[in-house]
Amino acid sequence: MRKNISTLKLPHYKSTAGCAAVRIPVPKEVLLPVSPMNSHSATAAEPVVQVGDHVRVGQLIAKEKDRGSSDIHASISGTVKAIEPCAQGGRKSIAIRIESDGKMEKYPDLPIPQPTNLDEFLECVRLSGTVGLGGAAYPVWAKLSAAQKNHIGTVLINGAECEPFITSDHRAMLECGDLVKKGVELLKQFLGSEEFIFGIEKNKPDAIEAMKKLFADDPAVKVLELSSVYPQGAKQVLLYNATGKVVKKGERLASLGVIIINVSSLIKMAEYFVTGMPMVERIITVDGSAVKEPKNLIVPIGVSVRDIVEACGGLKEEPGKILFGGAMMGKTQESLDAHILKATNAVVIMNQKDAAQTEPSPCIHCGRCVAVCPLGLNPTAFDRAMQVEDEEKRAEILTKEQVKVCMECGCCSYVCPSHRPLAANNNAAIGFIRSWERAHKEGGK
Amino acid sequence: MNSPVMATGPHIHSKDNSRRIMLDVIIALLPAAVAAVVLYGLPALWMILVCVVSAVASEILFNLCTGKAQSVGDLSAVVTGLLLALNLSTRVPLWQCVLGSVFAIVLVKCAFGGIGRNFANPAITARVFLLAAFSSTVAGGAFPKAVDAVSSATPLELIGVEGAELPSLLDMFLGLRGGAIGEGCILALLLGFAYLLVRRVIRWQTPVIFVGTVFVLSLIATGSLTAATYEILAGGLVLGAVFMATDYSTTPLTLEGKALFALGCGVITFVIRFFCAYPEGVSFSILCMNILAPWLEKWTRRKPLGGE
Repeated sequence: MRKNISTLKLPHYKSTAGCAAVRIPVPKEVLLPVSPMNSHSATAAEPVVQVGDHVRVGQLIAKEKDRGSSDIHASISGTVKAIEPCAQGGRKSIAIRIESDGKMEKYPDLPIPQPTNLDEFLECVRLSGTVGLGGAAYPVWAKLSAAQKNHIGTVLINGAECEPFITSDHRAMLECGDLVKKGVELLKQFLGSEEFIFGIEKNKPDAIEAMKKLFADDPAVKVLELSSVYPQGAKQVLLYNATGKVVKKGERLASLGVIIINVSSLIKMAEYFVTGMPMVERIITVDGSAVKEPKNLIVPIGVSVRDIVEACGGLKEEPGKILFGGAMMGKTQESLDAHILKATNAVVIMNQKDAAQTEPSPCIHCGRCVAVCPLGLNPTAFDRAMQVEDEEKRAEILTKEQVKVCMECGCCSYVCPSHRPLAANNNAAIGFIRSWERAHKEGGK
Repeated sequence: MNSPVMATGPHIHSKDNSRRIMLDVIIALLPAAVAAVVLYGLPALWMILVCVVSAVASEILFNLCTGKAQSVGDLSAVVTGLLLALNLSTRVPLWQCVLGSVFAIVLVKCAFGGIGRNFANPAITARVFLLAAFSSTVAGGAFPKAVDAVSSATPLELIGVEGAELPSLLDMFLGLRGGAIGEGCILALLLGFAYLLVRRVIRWQTPVIFVGTVFVLSLIATGSLTAATYEILAGGLVLGAVFMATDYSTTPLTLEGKALFALGCGVITFVIRFFCAYPEGVSFSILCMNILAPWLEKWTRRKPLGGE
């Protein structure tokens, strides 16, 4: 019997669901970091332009070396003003600053790719610079390359969009139906997958309807209506709810014959095969209590939050918190000078009241964090373990409680009546156990 | 302009907080407290006030003496005082009430690190301590004003006594019988239970399994539906099952653990009532299971999804 995965009913705050994405005016400049700036394992692409060069939209400006980054293309036409260090969201990268010439001139040499086999297809996807747009920023070609080793029978297309505020995937499904169809065709042709399952939460009935209509005569495609709970779109949760499968420890999703691709990533990938234009822009949701007119926008990658805010009528109040992403897993940014990355699906700007932090009080052992954890972990045990002085003992408890399984979805923090920062603590615990294991292994040799 | 907050997610939070949960428990206990005052008059009110005030005062004093941050704002001391009072009969003198409250707060709760850290339920432990120290006043119970009775024997003590006249089931449901001030009016306790369920402070499993186990075992032992119903209405079973076997700190975190905890409480209560010298076993059963709670929690640990 299929068990029920614990999930959380959250306020949706999806007030922008009905806002068709509009293109913002050409910004004066963009700043394009050469690293995805999402994790410690991220690497940097190598700039291939020099200060003073004139670049046009779609032109390669930084070349990736491995799976830790992706090709970066000019998102506006103009002059490379600087190649300089930048820091945002607590991470650092080298970034390419382009000053606009206001023309948005297209790079002329962008042929429409014509792959004939899987290897060529993957190479094309690689050149498109498409990354996982759900937030992970992992290159799409690298994800799809699993098909070289394993037969991918099932493709799960993630349109759950369970994060509060964000509606960019929702809008993309409504507005880019042709590209969704093209994407599915491409994967069918080159991956040879037999089954395509769209996972969409019920709070997007129009998107469900649109996808059903689009694939009405394709028996390989199923549209799965998921309950609107968080974190429905998380890998393990979506996989289980859609297929009943579980990725076990040390196992990869692809070895189950499944890949999960975010619907916006699929669209961006397909777009390259239709227009030849690599990833230079995306749909983002702009919302939050400090924003005057919440909207969905089509923005060039690298545009500043300041320019985005301007396109939304400015701010009503002083910003208390600036988030890239949704209210649950969004990453805070230092200022309005942060720049949109490829995987930035939303900018949420909260007012000072919404951003206020509550001081944590002692754990009352209520068990809500345990009850709500989608993966069945015990966050309060991690919390107690991190207060243990003896590192060996701490590592022992954390290993036993399998903290590394945690995906940091934040459900535990959300429900904690004592306002304990459990998700942050889990993050710290994972960091601790990783470094402890490394030190331990080296010491043992 | 203040610079924006940098923090790890989530950036929204449920409206609940610890203090609100304790307030909900207090609200849920109010019907029982009101019933106690209606049934037993002013002495019951004095007991409740004395227990609550002395519980809160001992926590304040403990924190002052040990240099700890003041914690009475979380209202848990109020809950402890209130529960202790409802678990005692009007035969208990007020100075013993004070002693019980101090014992509950200082020795059982604060000495183990305060809220969430104690392994035994403070109110229950204090009751058992008072029972051991002053069995003449704590055992048995007084009768409500409306009940015409000379003996202080409770229904549980009367069961099995030949010729003893037992209250009707309806009287039992309304609290017109001898015992502790807050345990008698089942109607009031059920109102509180419903409130806690609606507010999602507790889950239904613990009280239902606890009471259900006692009912089923009594039914098997006596073969009488009336007798089994009597057993669950009598004593402190409903009060204990709803308000004390559901205490967060002293019960397992996992739902399966809570179920086993409740089952154990039911079995021990039954065994004490039917086979031991004491007529009532709810307090002892919860205390015993409190000690087992960490193990129950360990045994019922779920296998994480994607773990081993």
